[in-house]
Order: sequence, then C-alpha cells, then structure tokens
Amino acid sequence: GGNGGDGGDSADGGDSGESQTWRMVTEEVDGQVQYEYAQEFADRINEKTDGQVTIEPYEFGGLGNETDQVEQLETGAVEMAVMSPGFTGNMVKEGQLFALHFLFPDSVEQTQEVLNNSEALNTDLREKYEEHGITPLAYWTEGAMQWTSSGTAIESPSDFEGFKMRTQTSPLILESYRAYGADPQSMSWGELYTALDRGTVEGQENPIFFIGDASFYEVQEYMTISNHNNYVAMTTVNSDWYNGLDEEMQSTIDETVEEMQEWVFEEQKAQNEEWLQTIKEDEENPTEIIELTDEQREAFRSAAMDVRDFYRSEVSTVDGEILDKLEQEITDITGAETGESSGEEGSSEEGSDSEEDSGSEE
Amino acid sequence: MLATMLTIMVILLLLNFPMLVPLMVAPLIVLFIYFPNMDPTIMMQQFSTGIEAYVLLAVPLFIFAADIMTTGKTSNRLLDFIGSFIGHIRGGYAVTTAAACTLFGAISGSTQATVVAIGTPMRERLLKIGYKDPTAMALIINSSDVALLVPPSIGMIMYGLVSGTSVGDLFIAGIIPGIIVFLAFTIYSVGYAIVKDIPLANKATWKERWQMTRKALLPIGFPVIVIGGIYTGLFSPTEAAGVSVLYAFILEVLIYRSIHIKQLPSIARSTGIVTSAVFVLVAGGQAFTWVISFARIPQMITEAVLGPDPSAIFVLVMVSVFFFVGCMFVDPIVVILVLTPIFYPAAMSAGVDPIHLGVIITFQAALGSATPPFGVDIFTASAVFNKPYLEVIKGTPPYIVMMVAIAVLLIYFEELSLMLL
Amino acid sequence: MKLFRALDKGILKLEEFILSYAIILIALMVISKPITRTLLGYTLPFADEVSQISVTIATFMGISYAARKGRHISMSAFYDMAPFKVRKVLSIFIPLLTAIILFAFAYYSTLYVLDIKASGRVTPALQMPTYILYMFIPIGFFLGGIQFIRNMWINIRDRDNVYLGTDAKDYNDMENQEIEETGHL
Ligand code: NA
Ligand code: NA
Repeated sequence: GGNGGDGGDSADGGDSGESQTWRMVTEEVDGQVQYEYAQEFADRINEKTDGQVTIEPYEFGGLGNETDQVEQLETGAVEMAVMSPGFTGNMVKEGQLFALHFLFPDSVEQTQEVLNNSEALNTDLREKYEEHGITPLAYWTEGAMQWTSSGTAIESPSDFEGFKMRTQTSPLILESYRAYGADPQSMSWGELYTALDRGTVEGQENPIFFIGDASFYEVQEYMTISNHNNYVAMTTVNSDWYNGLDEEMQSTIDETVEEMQEWVFEEQKAQNEEWLQTIKEDEENPTEIIELTDEQREAFRSAAMDVRDFYRSEVSTVDGEILDKLEQEITDITGAETGESSGEEGSSEEGSDSEEDSGSEE
Repeated sequence: MLATMLTIMVILLLLNFPMLVPLMVAPLIVLFIYFPNMDPTIMMQQFSTGIEAYVLLAVPLFIFAADIMTTGKTSNRLLDFIGSFIGHIRGGYAVTTAAACTLFGAISGSTQATVVAIGTPMRERLLKIGYKDPTAMALIINSSDVALLVPPSIGMIMYGLVSGTSVGDLFIAGIIPGIIVFLAFTIYSVGYAIVKDIPLANKATWKERWQMTRKALLPIGFPVIVIGGIYTGLFSPTEAAGVSVLYAFILEVLIYRSIHIKQLPSIARSTGIVTSAVFVLVAGGQAFTWVISFARIPQMITEAVLGPDPSAIFVLVMVSVFFFVGCMFVDPIVVILVLTPIFYPAAMSAGVDPIHLGVIITFQAALGSATPPFGVDIFTASAVFNKPYLEVIKGTPPYIVMMVAIAVLLIYFEELSLMLL
Repeated sequence: MKLFRALDKGILKLEEFILSYAIILIALMVISKPITRTLLGYTLPFADEVSQISVTIATFMGISYAARKGRHISMSAFYDMAPFKVRKVLSIFIPLLTAIILFAFAYYSTLYVLDIKASGRVTPALQMPTYILYMFIPIGFFLGGIQFIRNMWINIRDRDNVYLGTDAKDYNDMENQEIEETGHL
C-alpha cells in the first residue's frame, strides 16, 4: 500500500477544507456492540461532512489493553474512544459508581434515560474526566449484567456463600460481592472459559451478549437474570483536540453522538435478545435461565445498599456528592425510592420475560 | 512503510545486534518517519503491556520448575524410566522426546514452557546417545509445537474469544492434528535413527525396568497431578505452572534432598536471566504490533491480497501465510489477537467453518513459533540452552517441511479438524 | 577506581537479588491461589498483581545482568561465520550502538513514567501508584546501557579476545569443554 505515509499527519490538522482522519478506539471486536457503534458513528460523520472526515474504528487488541487505550486518548495518540468507566476507575475514582449494584433503575430504558439526562454524569462526572484530558460526550448501556453459575443456582445472597465467583479486582467490586457473603476471586479472562469449564471458578458476571460471544454459557449450568447493574460505555474524545475543533465540527460531533444514543440502545437490545434466544435454544449446552422474583431481587438489593457507603467513604474523592445527586435523579425518573419497588411491569405476558422485552413496547 | 521497517530489522539482525534492538528500534523509526506528531512514549507503554499478560506467567514458572528438576534428580529418574522401556528401539530417545513434548503440551498449553521443561533434560539425553546438538534442539522446539494443538491451548482460548467460537469445540478439534504431528515426528525420528545409524541404547532387563519404574513413581506423579489438577478444575493452566514448581520443590528439596533450600535463590536467578532475555522480546513484539496496527498495515495487506471474492481454500492459504509470518515476529497470542479479527469476516463469507479456521490459525501459530528467523521457541531454546542462534535453527528444515505438508493436509481436509465434533 | 568497583559489585548483587526473588515471589503468589481456593474458598486479591509486578521488574532489571553475562538473544548466524577481526570490530560497534539506543529508551520511558505519575493512576488490587512499578523500566534501560558501554570497553581494552559481555567470552573462540561449563544454567 503506497498510501501508508499520510495516515498519521492529519491528526493535528485543524484547518478546515482539507480531509481529515480521526481514530476511534474501542474495547471490543468486530460484531460486538462498541465496535458496531464506532463503525456506525464513522459512517454518519463521513456522510455529514461529505467525505471530508474519515474515522477509523480500531478493534480491541491491536493498540494494547483497555488501560493503554485510555492513556492513548489522554495523550492524543487517538482522538476518540469508546470506553467503559471500569477501566478508568483507578484514575477517575468517581467513575466506579457504575459498578454499584442495583443503583440504576431495573428497566434498561429508564437506565438509558438517566444516562442521557443526568446532570451528575453529563456535567459533574464529565468535569472529573476532563481533569485528565478526556471528555465523555455520552454514556450508554451495553445491557444489564447477569450472573452465570454452575453447581449452585444464584437465587439469594446466601447462594454466594462459599461460591467461587470470578470478578474484576477493583476494591469496590470486591466489596460488592463481599456484601453478599461471597469471596470473589481473580481469574484472567484468557483462562476464564477453561476455569469455568473445570469448575476452578464457578461463576462470573457479564452482559448477555458477551456471555454468548465468549461462549461462557457453554460451560455454565445457570444464568440468573439478575440485572444487578449495567455495563455502561462512554463515547469519549481527547479534550484538547475536541476543544480545538471549530464550532461547526463540534456541533456535528455532538449531534451525531446524540442521534447514536437511540441507535446503540437498539443495537445492544437486539444483540442481547438474540444471544438470550440462542442460549435458551442451545440444547447441546443447556443453560437454565433463572428469573428472580421481586422478593429475591429485594434481598440482593438490600444487601448491596451498604456498598454505597463504602463508595462514599473509601472510593469517592468528593464524599459521594456525584452519587448523591445521581440517586436523586434516578428517584425522579422512577418516581420511587430506588431502594424499594423494582419498577417492573408488563411481565404478565408469559413468553416475554427479559427486562428488555418488557420495556420494548414503550 | 512495512518495507522500511523490515529492512531496518533485517540489517540490524544480520549484524548480530541483541534481538531486542531491531524489535524495538524498527517501530520507533517508523514512528519518527511516518508519524512525526506521535509521541514515542507510546512504545514504552506497550513494552510494559506486552509482558503483563497473565498467561505469560506460566513461562518463568515452568522454566523455574524445569531448572529445579534439572539441578536435582527428577528428570533423570523420569527419563531413565522411559528410556528403559523404549530407549533401545531405533530412534527411541527421539520418539520419547516427541512423546514427552506432546504430553507436556497437554499440561502447559505453551510451546515455550514445553521447550524448557522437556527440552532441558531431554537434550542432555539425546546428546549422550549420539545425536548432534542441532538435531536434538530442532526436534525439541518442533515437538513443542504440539502444545498449542492439544488441549488445553492458550492460543485456542484467544481465538475462541476473539472470534466468538466455542473454545470447547476448538479443544476437541485440535486433538487429531496434534496426534498427526506427533506421528509424523515419530516416523521421521525412527527413519533418521536408521539412516544416521544412531547407536542403540542397551536393552534394559525387566528387573532394571522395575527398578527404574519404582524410582520414577514420584516423578511420574508430576504430569498426573498437573493434568489431573487442570481437568478436575483444581487449578488453571497458569496455576499448574506454579504447582509444577511446588511439586519439583517437594521432590528435590524435601524428599530426595538433592537440592539444599539455600540453592533455590541461585536456581531462581538463572530462571530470571532467561525470563528477562525472552520477555524483553515479548515487550518489543508488543510495541511492534502496536505500530503496525496503528498504521493499519494489516488491513492494507488483506485488501490487497485477498481480492474481491476469494475462495475458501485461497483464504485459508493466505491466512496460513499471514499467521505463519506474523508468528515469526511476535508471540502467537498477540498474533491471534491482532490478525484473527482481520481475516475472520473474509473467511466466514468464503464459507470456511469457524472451528476449522481456528485449527488452521492455531497450527500456523504453532509452526511459526518454531520457525526461523524469529520464532519465539527459537529465542527460548537459544536462551535456555545458551546456544548460538544458527546452531539452534540448523536442524529445523526437515520439520518445517513436515509441518507445511501437514498444514496443506489440514487445509484441504477439514474433516481432520471436525470429525471428533 | 575502588569506589567504581564497589558500586559495580553493589549493583551486581542488587540485580541478582531482584532476579532471584522476583521469580520466587511469582511462584509463591501463583501457588497460593489454588491452595487457598481449595482450602479456604478464597484467593489473595493481590496475587495476580504482585506476580505481574515481579515479572515487569525482573524483565527490565535483567537487561543489564543478561548483557553482562552475554545472554541476550541474537541471530548470530553470520557473525559466527566471520573471522576474528570482523567479530572484534562488531564487538565494539554493536555494544556502543545498543547502549545509545537503550539510553534513548531510558529517556522516553522516563517521560512515560512522569506521564503516569501525573495521571495519578493506581494499580487495581494493591492501589499502589502505578508509576512506582514503571520506574523500573527507565532504570533497567539505563543500567543496561551502562553495561553495554562496559561490554564495549572490555573489547577495546583486551585486544586478544572477543567478549559477548564483561563476564562472557565469545564461544566461537572457546573449546567445547569450556562452552559446556559456561553453558550450564
Ligand atoms: Na496444550
Ligand atoms: Na518463527
């Protein structure tokens, strides 16, 4: 390829009229939600700018691990990134609030509504990220997190006792599972499939599409539709680069980010529903799907409440101010205390059982 | 750009620079020339990322376990035992090596660890009975390829995750190709021993065999415990490497008392040197990968080589070529993570079975690891055996020929991968 | 000169200590996982992280030690075939250039460490500032550069031999017997 030489030099070029290439790095691979997002985003920007701006989406892998990608966005090696706050939690501590269980509404629609409109997130948390040169332009869900397990079906906090649960190793996540009486274990994802297969660890958490895509369900007996939190992603840009763009370009980006919110909601919903169906129908690797009753959810929810105090005292650098505000915003949307009602409706239909299903006919 | 990078690397390599120099300098120069606005500190980030992959921890641990066993008596007891049964047949020691590597590959999932753990004790045996060193080393590094094919395989786990293919199916699919490679090496070893008239070892009496067996009972327990532990879920493949260290420690220090506990730090030090020498290359390989990914060199290449509507066989041939070359430069794990997403869509639209593709890719990763100029197993062998590069690779051509022939076989007969499923 | 030699010896001892105990620490951490998991249903949350930190430190602090012992991996195919004089010239030229390159990497990685320090990042399990770990990268490159300078110097000073490292003569000039001895791990 003779065109290799000019790829990198346009990164700093702000002068309009010339064609530009931006790089957008993601934490997932082709076909998965984040990468699909980046590709659609690239197409739309390209069209809106009459081909003047080309965005190159990067799959996970080539540019290092998730933390590397955050650094690359910080230093401007890439202009844009889709990232999840989990991987910035050691830098922007406040961002760890997304790991809190049963914080967001049970309905994924309402969760997305909070993510779209929350001032706590879109103003206050954004400022925290901007201190590190990263501007989150939007937050969106990739779907609710579920538990999978073998040996023990996870239906109440006591099921976690003596259960070998694999999680990531941030103090807040560890604390969240200790609250249920579990001793969470670290296990690298490269070994997770084998470890689940052999029972080295007995369970893990992820959104449905990832459980399907990584084939974890093949080696697990149960999947508990716990929706204990959401896998949230952010559309982010390098702050200096973004602020250096002319206003027209900035509003083109902002506008596209906004329209993409609905698109990506549908995309994750489709992927999660499709995988749920596949997992249900796979007779070779049967997985029992467990729906929690309201009481069962309540037991987990109340056990998880103390972790918010841990977040306020041990994690937050602003004594949980952002969390307080977010909790209020969530209450305003659900119209109830987040601690009480599960806000589920429409589950009267026998066949449609997942959260996404019940919400889809909004 | 790729040409610049390769030219710089080849020149520096041929001049006998420490390999970390070409691996680290070529991408740096490409950054300077083609991406002048890019901050080179990005490469430093990749150096550390490259060696932070958790599964890599198995490498120093298997080296450490092997070092303990080599200093002590474990390996000798084990090999006396195997030798007493098949050592006297033509090529018996070479067949033992291939078998031991296959077996150990079924423990470790890592070709490099296999080179160290089996290669270190077996090489001495092979030399003693009359094999030339290059022949012995070539046999060792190539037999270690099988580690990536038979389960568990770290390479297949990576492919499964990136492509969304069932890892369990991949594991099963790798068994027959793994056995084919073992059989091919066995036949070659016997033939080689006949042609080169390798001296026969004395045939052991049944009394001697019984003695050897008794002495070897504890060392034999080693693979049983490690394999058993993984398959029953007591520990993960990386943890198995740790268990090997513990087992070697218990045997040599506590039971045989062939090593005093005060010797451990100096054994660990020699493990440390090898680890450092290999891991600086893994670090450099990661920076290298970053630059080619960033510059989108792989995408440019695939568009250019695959054309608009490629056939399944053509895609598989090109996949083989690219993975083979890729694994010549960097760790197979990295290659699989980077190249799989690029070729996977093209292969699917050409009608290739995803499991079959996984086997082909893993096979090439295995082959590339043992192939000059840059195979990671060659680096490892060179470091562990403390032998010059040329001597390590001198004996590899027959194995490359066999492996390429098997690769062609696998490409054309997908049943070889899929029949056990 | 005496001070120099004492410093050299001190660094040598430190490197040997780091290499030894990094490996032992990795072994302890990794072994602890299946044992505590089986017996207590629990694994040390920092086990993986300590192992990975140890690997990073051993890798970079090992650069200079491996250079001293002539243990860095190279493709010596053509070098091995070359006559003494050519090898002698290369044995001065290569360490010099390698040293310059390692010093450049020491510089860049120092910048990287400063970036990391400014970002305030901590490690996930131990919550230790990440820059403390990454500090070993520039230190390792720098000490490696110094050692390659010394490898060059010994080849300039001793006209009759070629050295792969200050503690390792070229195997091409040795009898097989000697190679076996130095070659043992
Ligand atoms: Na294996
Ligand atoms: Na190779």
